[in-house]
Amino acid sequence: MTARSPLFTLLLAGTGLAALSTAALAQDGQLIISTWGFNGDILDEVLYAPFEAEHGVEIVIDQGNNADRLNRVRVRDGGVDLIYLADAYAQQAIADGLFQEIDRGQIPTIGEIYEVGQAPHGEAYGPAYTIGRYGIVYDSAATDDPVTSWGDLWREEFAGRVTIPNVSTTAGQLIVLAAGERAGVDAFENPDAAFAELEALAPNVLTAYGRSSELVNLFAQGEVVIAAAQDFVVGSIQDAVPTAVWAPLGDEAYANLNVINILEGSDQVDLAHAFIDFHLSQQIQHEMAVRGVDAPINRNVELTEEEAARWTYGAEVVEALRLPDYERLNEVGEDWTTRWEAIFAN
Amino acid sequence: MTARRSPWLSLAAFAVYFFLLGPLVIVAASAVSDTEYLAFPPEGFSLRWFQRIFEVSAFLDTFWISLQIAVAGTVLALAVGIPAAFALKRHGVALPSWMGTFFVLPILVPEIVFGFSLLRSVSVALDLPIVPTLLIGHTVIVLPYCVRVVSASLANFDFSAQEAAISLGCPPVRSFFAVVLPNIRAGILAAFILAFITSLNNVPVSLFLIGPGVSTLPIQMLIYVENFFDPTIAALSVLLMVLTVVVMAVVEKTLGLGYFVR
Amino acid sequence: MHRRFLPWLLVAPAGLVILVILVLPILDTARGTLDAAAGHGQAYLDFFDRGLNRGILWRTTKLALIVTAIAVVLGLPTAFYIARSPQARRSMLIVAAVFPLLTGTVVRSFAWIVILGRNGLLNDVLLWAGVIGEPIGLLYTETAIVLGLAYLFTPLMILSLVGVLENIDHDLMDAARSLGATPAATFRQVTLPLAVPGLIVGSVLVFTGSFTAYTTPVLLGGQRNTVLATLLYREAMVEFDWPAASTIAVIMMIVTVAIVLTMGWLARRMNPAVE
Repeated sequence: MTARSPLFTLLLAGTGLAALSTAALAQDGQLIISTWGFNGDILDEVLYAPFEAEHGVEIVIDQGNNADRLNRVRVRDGGVDLIYLADAYAQQAIADGLFQEIDRGQIPTIGEIYEVGQAPHGEAYGPAYTIGRYGIVYDSAATDDPVTSWGDLWREEFAGRVTIPNVSTTAGQLIVLAAGERAGVDAFENPDAAFAELEALAPNVLTAYGRSSELVNLFAQGEVVIAAAQDFVVGSIQDAVPTAVWAPLGDEAYANLNVINILEGSDQVDLAHAFIDFHLSQQIQHEMAVRGVDAPINRNVELTEEEAARWTYGAEVVEALRLPDYERLNEVGEDWTTRWEAIFAN
Repeated sequence: MTARRSPWLSLAAFAVYFFLLGPLVIVAASAVSDTEYLAFPPEGFSLRWFQRIFEVSAFLDTFWISLQIAVAGTVLALAVGIPAAFALKRHGVALPSWMGTFFVLPILVPEIVFGFSLLRSVSVALDLPIVPTLLIGHTVIVLPYCVRVVSASLANFDFSAQEAAISLGCPPVRSFFAVVLPNIRAGILAAFILAFITSLNNVPVSLFLIGPGVSTLPIQMLIYVENFFDPTIAALSVLLMVLTVVVMAVVEKTLGLGYFVR
Repeated sequence: MHRRFLPWLLVAPAGLVILVILVLPILDTARGTLDAAAGHGQAYLDFFDRGLNRGILWRTTKLALIVTAIAVVLGLPTAFYIARSPQARRSMLIVAAVFPLLTGTVVRSFAWIVILGRNGLLNDVLLWAGVIGEPIGLLYTETAIVLGLAYLFTPLMILSLVGVLENIDHDLMDAARSLGATPAATFRQVTLPLAVPGLIVGSVLVFTGSFTAYTTPVLLGGQRNTVLATLLYREAMVEFDWPAASTIAVIMMIVTVAIVLTMGWLARRMNPAVE
């Protein structure tokens, strides 16, 4: 009979483990947040840990880029309480009815942020927690001519050294608008001309990136020297490539807002509101800016010139930015995605 | 037994082995580089990247999940696979000939197709949570290895020993545990290890089944490689290779490596 | 009567596991592509209507064929060498070939990032040797995918071939030699035909493996060199177009099954002794 014991022990252990791992998911007192994977260590320290301590709750993170995470929410139909999304994706989610309406009374710090960010999708939905610019970052050591315009991406000297955001990411479609401007047309009216310009850009594009950290990686490896990107990654790129700079695009740059929303089906509504309020507070916004995570959207945050250098900062800058028409971008989304993929994802 | 071999053949074989093992050596060497980026040959010497593995909570968490899924999935697969292997060997004639092929289906089906179908037609359609779905998915992908390796070890088993036990009054079920099982213990161990490693390394099936707080180690490594270029992954790779070497050495000592080749 | 049902009773749990968890969900996915409101087969017409998709199908097939050819070229001499080595040495050589197989695909693809990167080993060597003047882009190309997949699957080819080559009677080759056949002729006329079953099994494994691989194309091909597996993932999880993803899944299944059946048939025709 001794022969049977090892196998049975194994079987018992196995079924026990199976039961254990199944149970692990169904814990109470969790706040599940869907967000990007960028700067996870700092967020842990500055944002999550203090909130966990104060509210006696465990924060669980679902990470990935906008599209991945939004689709996981669509697929799973619940299971996530809060979601961080870029403007365009939030709009899609609203169209699909994925968000709960928020109670602004429970988020007093909303009053402290710039007006543009208070209700980008109407009073019913979540506020922006950061504001950024979409433009060009490049290695100034790789070229003698400073980059000052979207059109510089098309330069012959950058053959095979450009990366652009994947069409499924936050700013993926904005390159089409830039291409339209280069062709001298409104890309919404005349997409053919805009995409013809993108066709001409294709030889320069090494690969498209899906995540900001992937972009940093591409610079760090020396695979690319110039990229269409959001300004919040510049600091990280400079850590790897000290000669990297943010190109002064002037009024060619686009603004983009990232927003927080509470998902339909969340049973942690009060905690979720408290968390949004916490993230918008002056103290956290300041800490995020200083630690190089996000540009502050809270008006009361004061930064030194050095601290502010990498960010979209100050009332003057914020109010001058042009916001792309995300509603229209969403309308043409499918068509543009198909055309984009035919050029860059073949 | 050994015939003469042309020096060209030796050279070709040597080149292929260089191709097969060289990259792993490069990974191992760059793991100790004292640089923020991957460098080969390594610049300086540092073990801090090994230390870093244990500081990234995502690696520890997902290693634990992967370990649970691999052990539980393998045990489940053995639980159903051992009787099946026994039936195929002992009662093979009573079963249709396609039965053997049926049990290797999980190897023939593209894993990415299986992963997607699991998500679409099981997890979402039946509203099954992530962890159980991962578990049954991994059970299926390791099942063929369990059935085949256990079958192979049963091939050397003389079933008349069991017959003898039964004719002496031992109940059939008990005769299985008392006579058959002890004789194929080595095969079961080999099957367990092979299945365990297969599960631990799987990407395509797990890919579709990650969610809040649930991911597996290979998926986490994939995400990390896409995002960071420091030697952490090289260091983690070294640890996994060491684990593999240890496991193979144990198998070699106890059973001989014939089990892996079959 | 108890005896008659016993075998079925024993295979039932494992059979049910495969049937319920593997076969039925895949059939369900396949069925989903057929009852589209637009009519039967519309999903497939849509798939092939896009030039992009045809290009990706062709690229995937082409890469898998090249990888299979490379695996044959690298695997044959190696397996031959192993089969003719003394017993003790042979198992060591087999272990060395198996070891990469037991290391995960992420690790093995990652190795090639280190080698092929712009600051990687290969560029360093080429620069040092003066072959190139400045680093060239090797990563995120089809070549990178081919190298990574050949690296991944050559051990499978070697193992499949060693299995059959070991059983070839060396006396047969020595006899051919002593009758005046050159080594090359012996190889062509005696060894190669006998190795065909192993070659077929190996080719099936390498081709289907390369045709459906996900990790390596993602890491080494980047966003631009899409293959069917990465397209399937993109349609399913990024574009969220499940009918399109299901269609790709079914196409991958069909190609895989067709290859397995064709090669199986070929193997039986060439050597009736093979199961």
